[in-house]
Amino acid sequence: MTKTKSTKAKTDPSLNQVLLNPAGRVGADYKAWMDYVGGQGLEKALEDPKAIIPMAKEADLRGLGGSGFPTWFKWNAIANQDPERDKYLICNGNEDEPGTFKDRVLLKECPHQLIEGATITAVACGINKIVFYINPHLTACIDAMRKAVEQWQTSDWPARIAEKTGLRIEYRIQPSSGHYIGGEETAAIESVEGKFPFPRGKPPYPSDFGVHGYPTLINNMETLSNVSHLVRNGVEWFRNLGLGNATGTKIYCLSGDVLKPGVFELPMGTPLNDLVYNYGGGMLVGKKLKAVFTGGPSNTILTPKDIDVPMDFESVAARRSALGTGAMIVVSQGTGIVKKVAEYISFFAASSCGQCPSCKTGTYYMSLLLNRIGTGQGTRSDLDSLINLCKILPGSGRCHLVNGAVKVLDSSLYHFMNEYEQSLLKVEG
Amino acid sequence: MAKGIPYNIALKHYRPQADRPMPRMEFGEELLHKYHPDYIRENCIDLTVGVNAGDPCHRQLAEVLQGDSRIDEADLAGSPEIETDVLVIGGGGAGCAAALEASLAGAKVILATKLRLGDSNTVMAEGGIQASVEKDDTPQKHYEDTLKGAHGELDRKLAAQMVMDGPEVIRWLIQQGMQFELDQYGDLMTRRAGGTSAPRVLYFRDYTGLEMMRVLREAVSNSNIEVLDYSPAVELLSDDSGHCAGAIFSSLKDYKYILVKARSVIVATGGIGRMHLNGFPTSNHFGATGDGLVLAYRLGAHLRDLDIFQYHPSGLAYPPHLAGTLITEGVRSAGAYLLNAGGERFIDELKPRDYVASAIIRECAEGRGVYAGDGKCGIWLDTPSIELREPGIIEKRFPKLLHLGTKCGIDPRKQPMLIYPTLHYQNGGVIIDQDGASSVPGLFCAGEVCGGVHGRNRLMGNSLLDIIAFGRRAGVAAAKRAHGFGRGPKKITIEHLRNFRRELMLANMPLTRKSPLLFPVYAKFDDDTDYDGLRKKLKIGLSNDQD
Amino acid sequence: MSIDSENLISLRINGKDISAPKSHSVIQALWYAGYPRVKGVGCLQGVCGSCRVLVRRAGSTKVTTELGCELLIEEGMDVHFLIYPTPPHQSYQLEDIRSSWEVQAKFHEIFPEAEQCRHCAGCTTTCPKGIDVERGVELASKGRFSEAGELFVECVMCNLCQTACPEMIAPNHVALFSRRVTAYFHIRPSNLINRLEIMRKGGLKVIE
Repeated sequence: MTKTKSTKAKTDPSLNQVLLNPAGRVGADYKAWMDYVGGQGLEKALEDPKAIIPMAKEADLRGLGGSGFPTWFKWNAIANQDPERDKYLICNGNEDEPGTFKDRVLLKECPHQLIEGATITAVACGINKIVFYINPHLTACIDAMRKAVEQWQTSDWPARIAEKTGLRIEYRIQPSSGHYIGGEETAAIESVEGKFPFPRGKPPYPSDFGVHGYPTLINNMETLSNVSHLVRNGVEWFRNLGLGNATGTKIYCLSGDVLKPGVFELPMGTPLNDLVYNYGGGMLVGKKLKAVFTGGPSNTILTPKDIDVPMDFESVAARRSALGTGAMIVVSQGTGIVKKVAEYISFFAASSCGQCPSCKTGTYYMSLLLNRIGTGQGTRSDLDSLINLCKILPGSGRCHLVNGAVKVLDSSLYHFMNEYEQSLLKVEG
Repeated sequence: MAKGIPYNIALKHYRPQADRPMPRMEFGEELLHKYHPDYIRENCIDLTVGVNAGDPCHRQLAEVLQGDSRIDEADLAGSPEIETDVLVIGGGGAGCAAALEASLAGAKVILATKLRLGDSNTVMAEGGIQASVEKDDTPQKHYEDTLKGAHGELDRKLAAQMVMDGPEVIRWLIQQGMQFELDQYGDLMTRRAGGTSAPRVLYFRDYTGLEMMRVLREAVSNSNIEVLDYSPAVELLSDDSGHCAGAIFSSLKDYKYILVKARSVIVATGGIGRMHLNGFPTSNHFGATGDGLVLAYRLGAHLRDLDIFQYHPSGLAYPPHLAGTLITEGVRSAGAYLLNAGGERFIDELKPRDYVASAIIRECAEGRGVYAGDGKCGIWLDTPSIELREPGIIEKRFPKLLHLGTKCGIDPRKQPMLIYPTLHYQNGGVIIDQDGASSVPGLFCAGEVCGGVHGRNRLMGNSLLDIIAFGRRAGVAAAKRAHGFGRGPKKITIEHLRNFRRELMLANMPLTRKSPLLFPVYAKFDDDTDYDGLRKKLKIGLSNDQD
Repeated sequence: MSIDSENLISLRINGKDISAPKSHSVIQALWYAGYPRVKGVGCLQGVCGSCRVLVRRAGSTKVTTELGCELLIEEGMDVHFLIYPTPPHQSYQLEDIRSSWEVQAKFHEIFPEAEQCRHCAGCTTTCPKGIDVERGVELASKGRFSEAGELFVECVMCNLCQTACPEMIAPNHVALFSRRVTAYFHIRPSNLINRLEIMRKGGLKVIE
């Protein structure tokens, strides 16, 4: 955290209010966290564990890893499982997709915020095994988490929780495989079981049959990091954080051709142009915005006419895109969309786990065709072929990887068809 | 064609039976004269243009031989030029064998192929490869069988060379990594080909060609031979003395012409099945359109036997989507009968192919065939009979047949397959010597594009031997010629095209028909800019939008 | 069973809506409807591996890989041609393997990825010939080349397993290597060797 940014944070009340609040970014320092707001949320949670899930429901806390799925619903499913059985919580920090870099900040700078949030969640759902599932490339984060978990375990919290709820919570840090696909829920379960992260077919859902067959809850790091603050400050406070109908805050990852790329925690529903032109400092000198790749980047591309879109799940969906992880990759005029999309599709092709040939071969072919067109070797039939792949492939995989790849490709075809056509091989008459 | 007994009725009356008596009828040449498609008089004309003017030729083949070039001098402006010692045109068995040998001899080799490396008739060959290796067999017997099958009308030197090369060819193939069926002692197993005096066909299941081709393809792609795929040859180049000096390719990848200058050129472009002579279905690869014949002929190479083709007796006749697909002669060699709709045998199944094919055509013409609909007739290949005699043989020896059956919804172990002759092989072609050299200096040919090795009728298993034997010889000879060349060809021209065009005009031949064909007519290659390297009909955004 | 083909079937091939008689293969249907198709067409008998297609059948989300020449059209089918071949990325010469004792070591030098198999079974699923591809790779990795090669008798080198492999293994080439070394080192037929020996000494000349 540089000086200038923290000054900015002080002067702008909307920026970095909660999760990334400079005062709370204390690293793996238990005492500093407790001196800040640590323990307040958990204290409240222990007073009335049953109130937590309804709180999450009223606060409209969502899955912030990309799905936007109501968190309380998943929690409920776990809470309703047989209390005698082991239950797992996987804190998903596999973060590997292009343009997303928020979990690493939370893990490294606010590990106790996550541990407390996860613990409250465990209390709410009767979970006794918490797994912090972290991308192995984020070594500093893993170190911070190791230290923080150690501090947590030697604190008096575990004993107090056991006394109050009967739960003896085990904490474990599990570096993931580093494969992008390992971020998928069921793939994460496989990985935690020590296997290759192959996505499983659903059903059975993780809440019924997860790690080693036990009920398992999987939440993103950002979602869980919110929990202690929500419980501490209450539903009203949380709802007021958001703009419009949206609640809470969201960490946006801004990258691409902007002046000041970075991580910005802003009210959920902050308009895209505010992020780009205000917080991001606007476009690089002389550049004009051409498109924004959101989420994974496995979503529909946003174009300048969408620049006013409030960045919450519903509003972005209304523009036929998706908020995803909150990654906003800004692309300026002069950037070749075909090459950009080719870059992302080849990421998906390299990330496909291999179980579904339609996904692996499908993304491979998309990538091959895009590279042909992007390098001026493509023909009309290559383009036709690309268009057709977008029709035939969706839904053919066990997980959503191929759908995401198709989505970004399809929308680039929709918005930038002329650019594709101009890139085609010129056949002389 | 007279209608026969409808398929369903004939099938209902079919009963599997292990043994059936051999028909007592004896047939001579008149069977061929009456029923073999080569003898359809109105389809045979005399060539009027080129070095073979006056020779008989099939009408459809004559049309392309006497067609006009696809290119002009102007088309070549700005085309990239590559230079090499040896240029091989064709990526099938003969082409790969030639390229491997030329490369081994130290020559820089470019191999150009119309589609992908290995796309060829070789990959589809099933029955096997002849080589006299059994103790009671000799090259002499092999030679005599070949001569007899050919009705005596072959180039004896070539045939003798081929049979003498046989055992060494097999050794070479094994050293490339090709597998053959072996007995319990590790010896090569043999089976009999129609019209032969000894079991001599070495084989690998009914995938002999597939096994050969995948091994040769792998050998080529792991060598330093440069492969130009998706590059059909549209014309040969000549130097100022009329010798062959390279070729022009039309790349299907970037729609540009490529000029390859070479000290020696080996044409190994295969046959003509996809011209569907006399309206027959074919067992040939999609790319078998006789391009090499056209190219060589325009450059002045002598051809022979242009009116003689082989119709393989057992091409699938039903279901229609796989019509023409080959069923190996190995099935008959293993004892499968041919039965007409009445369930009777009508010929010795192991007579040479031209006799058997003619007999099938006769049965159908005289109403004893099985009617398969759409005007198509056929007769039964009685596969259940061999299964009755030796349970399990089909699965073990003929996996391709079994797979074909699955695709047809027919279990060949229980139900006979309906077959009809399919256009299989071009017996004639470019005249060569034992080193594959044509009558044009610098132009070598190998494989099916050549004539004279098999005379009027080829025996099963002799084509795979032919392509490897002469492919290798051409490769060695071409490399040798390239070494003795000194500096590269001084000037390359397409002067021979101008001469040929002049001849066409003087003979009042139309210049409307362009050749070589490159692809079968029904693939509509010339209609689509995206597949058309020839840039004649430009329509941006064509893509056939109907919706 | 009616043999005369009258009923037309509607399907979509490469994004084009077409109708063709029911007895047609995918490629034939395309030609029947008047569309050009050159690339991705080969032997038309299922042995060259050129006509690879993705297929989605009516009412299903599943997409399978098949060979277009052998695939009969079905109502509501959606077909997509995969025309570009995948060149092998490894290179080896059989002559560089000095003896059969070295084959296994050489194999892992040539195909270092083969050991990385993550057992996703994608290669086996995608194989249009129903070969247990994954098992073949496993056998080859363990040095059981003859056994591995035997599984691939029907392999037409369509390369679908190669594009399906997330570890960049080229299973078909692994198998072909297995088959080739088996022949190169272990096929020594005495009948052939004897014949070659006689001919080497000048015997068995042909009199024309």
